[in-house]
Amino acid sequence: MADEGLAAHRREPIKSSVGNVAAHRRRKNAATVGKERRESLVRAKRLCRVGISGDTAVSLENDMMIDEEQSILEAQTSSAVEELKSSVAYQGKGAMQKRVNALRELRRLLSRSEFPPVEASLKAGAIPILVQCLSFGSPDEQLLEAAWCLTNIAAGKPEETEALLPALPLLIAHLGENSSLSVAEQCAWALGNVAGEGEKLRNVLLSQGALLPLARMMLPNKGSTVRTAAWALSNLIKGPDPKAATELIRVDGLLDAIVRHLKKADDELTTEVAWVVVYLSALSNVATGMLVKTDVLQLLVERLATSNSLQLLIPVLRSLGNLVAGDSNTTHAVLVPGREITDHVIEVLVKCLNSEHRVLKKEAAWVLSNIAAGSVEHKQLIYSSEAVPLLLRLLSTAPFDVRKEVAYVLGNLCVAPTEGDGKPNLICEHLVSLVGRGCLPGFIDLVRSADTEAARVGLQFMELVLRGMPHGEGPKLVEREDGIDAMERFQFHENEDLRNMANGLVDTYFGEDYGLDD
Amino acid sequence: MAMEVTQILLNAQAVDSTLRNQAEENLKQFQEQNLPSFLLSLAGELSNDDKPVESRKLAGLILKNALDAKEQHRKHELVQRWLSLDTSLKSQIKACLLKTLSSPALDARSTASQVIAKVAGIELPHKQWPELIGTFLSNIHQLPAHTKQATLETLGYICEEVSPDVVEQDEVNKILTAVVQGMNSSESNNDVRLAATRALFNALGFARANFSNDMERDYIMRVVCESTLSPELKIRQSAFECLVAISSTYYEKLAPYIQDIFNITAKAVKEDEEPVALQAIEFWSSVCDEEIDILEEYGGEFSADSDVPCFYFVKQALPVLIPLLLETLLKQEEDQDQDEGAWNIAMAGGTCLGLVARTVGDDVVPLVMPFIEENITKPDWRQREAATYAFGSILEGPSPDKLIPLVNIALNFMLTALMKDPNNHVKDTTAWTLGRMFEFLHGSALETPIITQTNIQQIITVLLQSMKDVPNVAEKACGALYFLAQGYEDAGSSSSPLTPFFQEIVQALLTATHREDAGESRLRTAAYETLNEVVRCSTDETAPMVLQLVPLIMMELHQTLEAQKLSSDEREKQNELQGLLCGCLQVIIQKLGSAEPTKYVFMQYADQMMALFLRVFASRSATAHEEAMLVIGALAYAAGADFAKYMPEFYRYLEMGLQNFEDYQVCAITVGVVGDICRALEDKILPYCDGIMTQLLKDLSSNQLHRSVKPPIFSCFGDIALAIGENFEKYLMYAMPMLQSAAELSAHISGADDDMLEYTNSLRNGILEAYSGIFQGFKGSSNTQLLMPYAPHILQFLDSLYMEKDMDDAVSKTAIGVLGDLADTLGGNAGPLIQQSVSSRDFLSECLSSDDHLIRESAEWAKLAISRAISI
Repeated sequence: MADEGLAAHRREPIKSSVGNVAAHRRRKNAATVGKERRESLVRAKRLCRVGISGDTAVSLENDMMIDEEQSILEAQTSSAVEELKSSVAYQGKGAMQKRVNALRELRRLLSRSEFPPVEASLKAGAIPILVQCLSFGSPDEQLLEAAWCLTNIAAGKPEETEALLPALPLLIAHLGENSSLSVAEQCAWALGNVAGEGEKLRNVLLSQGALLPLARMMLPNKGSTVRTAAWALSNLIKGPDPKAATELIRVDGLLDAIVRHLKKADDELTTEVAWVVVYLSALSNVATGMLVKTDVLQLLVERLATSNSLQLLIPVLRSLGNLVAGDSNTTHAVLVPGREITDHVIEVLVKCLNSEHRVLKKEAAWVLSNIAAGSVEHKQLIYSSEAVPLLLRLLSTAPFDVRKEVAYVLGNLCVAPTEGDGKPNLICEHLVSLVGRGCLPGFIDLVRSADTEAARVGLQFMELVLRGMPHGEGPKLVEREDGIDAMERFQFHENEDLRNMANGLVDTYFGEDYGLDD
Repeated sequence: MAMEVTQILLNAQAVDSTLRNQAEENLKQFQEQNLPSFLLSLAGELSNDDKPVESRKLAGLILKNALDAKEQHRKHELVQRWLSLDTSLKSQIKACLLKTLSSPALDARSTASQVIAKVAGIELPHKQWPELIGTFLSNIHQLPAHTKQATLETLGYICEEVSPDVVEQDEVNKILTAVVQGMNSSESNNDVRLAATRALFNALGFARANFSNDMERDYIMRVVCESTLSPELKIRQSAFECLVAISSTYYEKLAPYIQDIFNITAKAVKEDEEPVALQAIEFWSSVCDEEIDILEEYGGEFSADSDVPCFYFVKQALPVLIPLLLETLLKQEEDQDQDEGAWNIAMAGGTCLGLVARTVGDDVVPLVMPFIEENITKPDWRQREAATYAFGSILEGPSPDKLIPLVNIALNFMLTALMKDPNNHVKDTTAWTLGRMFEFLHGSALETPIITQTNIQQIITVLLQSMKDVPNVAEKACGALYFLAQGYEDAGSSSSPLTPFFQEIVQALLTATHREDAGESRLRTAAYETLNEVVRCSTDETAPMVLQLVPLIMMELHQTLEAQKLSSDEREKQNELQGLLCGCLQVIIQKLGSAEPTKYVFMQYADQMMALFLRVFASRSATAHEEAMLVIGALAYAAGADFAKYMPEFYRYLEMGLQNFEDYQVCAITVGVVGDICRALEDKILPYCDGIMTQLLKDLSSNQLHRSVKPPIFSCFGDIALAIGENFEKYLMYAMPMLQSAAELSAHISGADDDMLEYTNSLRNGILEAYSGIFQGFKGSSNTQLLMPYAPHILQFLDSLYMEKDMDDAVSKTAIGVLGDLADTLGGNAGPLIQQSVSSRDFLSECLSSDDHLIRESAEWAKLAISRAISI
């Protein structure tokens, strides 16, 4: 035993059998293969969702560049900027062509990959030289290429976009009627990228007068120009200050142009125009008031009925919702029960509720909830439509955010418009029927959610049930669906309002006397 | 309280088995009935000089086994048991043990040393027995030699047993002082000097502070170097072992001594007996290991904030070191080529030469080439073999530019030698050298090919011919062919230069597997693994021939299953063969399953194959089980949803695999196969999920299961959730708390070593993959709100990972992906939570500008998902 002492130092001989290494490698490979398959599955799931859910469709599927390629690209970019500088300085024969070629080369590099070498171009001093290329009187080809370069630079990171500041006045100047359409369009595109970056740059653009020339570009019937201008405008008027939206709607002929373009069959064009309507109606009461007086509502409904393009349906539906929510005139004067348009609206909303896209379902429910907040007639109209069975189903099966909106609709259906400050009056028929069709568990489920707004809707509905179900049936129903437990979770909740509401309900309906009758 | 146990202990070692069994039974009963009395009786026996040495030794051994076990779980139990014993009892036992150290009986002393170390290993970390080391050292000078020897031996064992951080520095100083004094030439007793030298070997890990002090270090080094010159072989050997340990533990302190050490090692390599010479060579191999590591780190990261600089000791020693090593190559043993366990000075020298080549690269070549040229054609086989071995050893390290011209000249010579040399050992080394040429200098990454249209025919002919040679040469020829095939792995679906020879190669390999003597020199294994590599690297052109292999290999597997009444030796061989055949089918399935037309054809065999694989589970061999699992995983992936039909029968083996704690590799592989099956069956796996999840959760809670299996189990949760979507709901209440507590444990690991960090990162990755799978599984379902309660903790986990700054790239990628998945699945509900987290800002922007494009891609995805979650 004494001799076993130290562990003998023995290393693996350099000359060893291939079998050991090979078997080890084979097993390791099996594990790696499994890991790779898991990763590609996960990756595929992520990428395909980007496609479906729409509004920010960014393709990640393009081949990513590997680092070496990126560094080569960067080096090429720096030398392209240098080349451009020397061509601008050059005054001899063929100077113009030389400049255009240099610009084109830089533009190609900036368009080439998913990660354009924007930073490298800025470092090399691209902006001042590109601004120089935009000077008045330059040939169209040169202006176009320079604006195109700036467009790509503006698509970069925030600080890169900001680097465009010195170029903005000239880009705006080239939007004017004297420019060729392609140059104007390219400038609009660059400005749209800048406007999309944030409030600060939007304000700069507005103060430099970008709005009017862009609005004027929407007036003619030239498809691609209108589309680009509309896109740039929708970025420009995003707010949060409503001033720009109000200013835009007051531009002569703009409202007519919107109506005209919304009638066109070109889905891509209408999509961009619809986004303009989204921001107009979301931000500006003036704009909303003007829009509802036109055919816009009618056109939006038609679009919803006939189109299947998700890209288009989203802004159209959201516009419709904004118009309904933003102006009480809409529900009172336009969507009058009994009128054809009103039936149509309900119909298209039912279509959207039936859609497989969560966003559409959610927004449709939101629009409906606004209509359901209207007159008793509105409530009866919805109540007797195809929407109700659908809403009931969604309340139990849909994703959370959809259920929440659905709950607002169903809740609104059960209460009459409030008079004075008291508790809302019940529409007993609706309440009894909806509860009878099993909607209570859905509301109680919302009470359990961490989202306070959803919990509030749930509690409000429970209050209706407790108070309004005939023969004092309410408390039993609530108890049977574990509603008491759901309310008791609020006993010490940090939100005072909800806490008082829940505790009040428990005290009132499940106090000491509760159950003594049985 | 103590009992007389002498007779029982003697009987327990009796030749008569009845007597022996009876005694063992008595001991067992005694231990169960009264553990304290049992332990005390053993300690008493061990310490009693009137008792026979045999019973004392066994008493000590049983005592030692009552304190420690190999198996982690059992070990933990024993430690707890000892700690819970009465203190006065333990004092009595310890007193007996210490007393034994002065016994005249060497065996009793040595046994007691080991038991004391075990007790110290338990008690010192709990701050118990604080006086132990002090007691030892207070009067060590006055002790008689045999007690001094035992005391030093005990100190050595203690240092081996406990970790340095539980011993105070002043005690370390005392230990080292005693040990080094024991080694000193002034100590006249060789037993004491040997015990002291061995103790130093274990104590080196404690001496970090002492090695930073120039005077103390000089003193220790001087004593160690002197000991390498002791007249006593065992002391010299042990002193060199200390030098080896110092070279890896204190590389950065070697510079002042390297010249002296070089002289000492050179002399030992040339003149000393083999056990000493081997350690002297090992010293240089170990220095190479260190320098290779340091230089790799330099290469990997140029800013090299690595704390240890490279001193280029090997490069400086090169002109003298190389001749020294080349000299050793000529000292081969007869027939070492046929002895798998052989290790001698020639093998150690060649291995060291290989490491030197990797350390210094091109510089080695001009120093070795003259030796090769001079010896390669000599009549003495030793010279030819040594020259060939030297050439083979330096093929990794130097640049291809330097080597390829030499290889182009040597290739032809080697092919001829492999055919014609009269000596098997030379042929063995020649075939190995060819394999090294193909391994390092052949492949698509190299500009100038050494294998061309003109010589490939000859190369293959020679290798196939050599497969008929004696088993050890045939095995090396297989190895050469393995690397030859591997060089063509990137041929893709286009034509491979091996295509014209495919049939011939496969035939030769199958023939080799069937040789009567294929069990020798691991020839059969090498032949099958080479066949696998040839298949793996083959192209579409040869797919029909690969298809023909399917029934052939199945038939062989069938035959192994039919064999009856085997001796245990034969059964072991049979199981090994089953493993090899399953491995072969695994590669074939992967190959054929990757293209639709071939997949369609071979899937016709799927039912029969599956039946065969299931029968392999009847064996008790862990390796066979592992291979059967792997091949079933491959089949599941190829079969896709059709694999469902095998599940009813396969399920119980799956469960068995998941329960196999003992052979944890089987368990790990089975967990991987569950993942394969999830991807193949998708929601059709649902009926089996209750069972699988139960088993996985049990595995996670077990402290018996090897820790390396735990990360894949977490990933497997993700696989299951991806497959069954929101049906994972019912497992949330079990899986989430497990993930949460594992996440908390893995978030902070300050001060861990590299291994621990690597393990922790793999654990984090597993946890994050589970979260990703669960979120993605629930995405779009109506039940996503069920995940809301877990979101704050998950975000917190991501934040703390980010703050900790010790994630590797794989973890960063998975982590940022989880952030995206969380945002994507929970949408607007999680918006405010996400906005509060550091991860969604700083971590995300860090990942967006990462150098790693996969991290960037995941980050882009997360950015998109978050922006949607916040805007909706």
